[in-house]
Amino acid sequence: MRSGPAAGRTGYFHEALCYASDEELLAVVVPFLVGGVQANEPTFVALGERTGNLVRAALPADTKVEFLSGGDVYGRPTAAIRMYRQLLADLVADGATQIRIIGEVPPLGLGPTWDWWARYESAINHAYDDWPLWSMCAYDTRTTAAGVLADVAATHPCFARADGRHVPSAAYVAPDTFLRRVRPMPPDPIQTATPLVDLLGPTAAQARAAVHRAGPGSLRADEFDDFVVAVSETVTNGLRHGLSPVRFRLWAGADRLVATVSDSGSGPQDPYAGLLPSVNGSPGGLGLWITHQSCNHVTYHRDVEGFTMRLTGGRPPGI
Amino acid sequence: MLTGQPPGHRHLCWAYDGPTGFMTRAVEFLRAGLAAGERVWFVVSGPAEPVRDELLDTRDFADALLTGAAQVHSLDDAYSSTAVIDPASQVAAYRRATREAVSAGYTGLRVAADATDLVRTPARRDAFARYEQRVNEMMRTEAFRAMCAYDRSQLGEPAIAELACLHPQHNLGQLLFRLYAVPLAQGQAALAGELDPSNHDLFRTALDRAELRPVDDELVLDADGLRFLDHRALIHLNEYARDRQATVVLRAARSGVARLATLLDLPDLRVEVAR
Repeated sequence: MRSGPAAGRTGYFHEALCYASDEELLAVVVPFLVGGVQANEPTFVALGERTGNLVRAALPADTKVEFLSGGDVYGRPTAAIRMYRQLLADLVADGATQIRIIGEVPPLGLGPTWDWWARYESAINHAYDDWPLWSMCAYDTRTTAAGVLADVAATHPCFARADGRHVPSAAYVAPDTFLRRVRPMPPDPIQTATPLVDLLGPTAAQARAAVHRAGPGSLRADEFDDFVVAVSETVTNGLRHGLSPVRFRLWAGADRLVATVSDSGSGPQDPYAGLLPSVNGSPGGLGLWITHQSCNHVTYHRDVEGFTMRLTGGRPPGI
Repeated sequence: MLTGQPPGHRHLCWAYDGPTGFMTRAVEFLRAGLAAGERVWFVVSGPAEPVRDELLDTRDFADALLTGAAQVHSLDDAYSSTAVIDPASQVAAYRRATREAVSAGYTGLRVAADATDLVRTPARRDAFARYEQRVNEMMRTEAFRAMCAYDRSQLGEPAIAELACLHPQHNLGQLLFRLYAVPLAQGQAALAGELDPSNHDLFRTALDRAELRPVDDELVLDADGLRFLDHRALIHLNEYARDRQATVVLRAARSGVARLATLLDLPDLRVEVAR
């Protein structure tokens, strides 16, 4: 039996907590967590350092909540989904009737890489719906951009208010709709330079070789290896599932490598492509999912000329 | 250009073009054998005598032909069958010839064979590919070296690739991977190069033909020379292991392979990262 506002529901109850002061944050989070513990529900905190410490200090002593390291959990959206799905499956297998989680996208994710976190916030309405989860995603309205808050309203079915109410979001749109929207892909500043590599119709092996010739720059060896994997998978998908010509370009900056792979097609049709392994074995699904866990930012862009994926290894701009 | 192990490895695949392509490379390969004190064999399609006569005028070979250090055989002489080869009996024949050479005071036997006529049909290629891997295994213990040569203009590169990928060394520029038996201390076989969708079917075929046999329920592949493999290859290796009720171990792999395997959660595959 589920406690709280999700009682009687099945699946995921996904709320946004948009707060304008620390008091507002705590006014929602403390009763949420204490209530979870009292109901004997597995209860987790996945906040960053500052907000996590605030919550820790405000909780009654010996409140049995588990603190997850927010930085590790929210490194990459697809990795977060993978981790949470495993956690939820394990907890339900152990008999949990509801799981409560308060989390937040790290401040770095609210800047130029927000695009893939917005897709995350939308996709998890589907991805976590197999389990009785009640989660809140915290956003500080003092520091969060209006465009991000608009996406928050579009991706969370409900808001948790400081006065204890749970208010449906009028702007919410189902993930199948939200994820099919064409989102802007502002160019990375280094894309204004002439690319180091510009290949038309390369094989995946030729693209990998070109990346190796360009070299890792400041990327760690493991980051570079993973970036090569992402390039290979993306070029392969373009060749197998896109429309020719496939074009591969690569730029190198002081702290990152940026690659784009474009073709004349319309891109993956599965709205969850990249965030979940694949749906019904959709074409290229596993490669896209791996790509999203091998880079520090992945964007999709569609226009009249076709579909472009951009991969960033190393440190995305603004981070 | 050669792809693979440094020069001097024991088993070379050579795709040649034109009527003189085989002999030019074979002379070079076997001359090195004579210098190393090995008995050397030319194995040619067609009769041996004209080739022998020609070699009598070739530097380093005239004396060797007279002493028996160098010999010319036709395919019919050297191979148990020129229809569909029987891998086991052919390996046994070369093992016997190697031991005879060693008994006669040579340091080993080195063979350059134009095997084009032996692999003209899919069935012949299948059998010959299985034989290639048995030869790799035989070379673990015998002083035997070989160059298997194939006429590209007659067979086409895809057919030769089926065979070349089972050699530690080859000259097919477009062929990205190799699978071949190595000393058992390293594993049942080495997997080297790059594996991606462009060669996935060829890899599956090669793995089947290699007929690797688990030891203590493990199939150890030396991955030290494996520059890249994608999720499809990893998933296939996991299935290959499961079908044989064994665990595939990728030994000395790059750390990215381990990360990929972790993502894919493959129960019958273990990655040991190079230190």
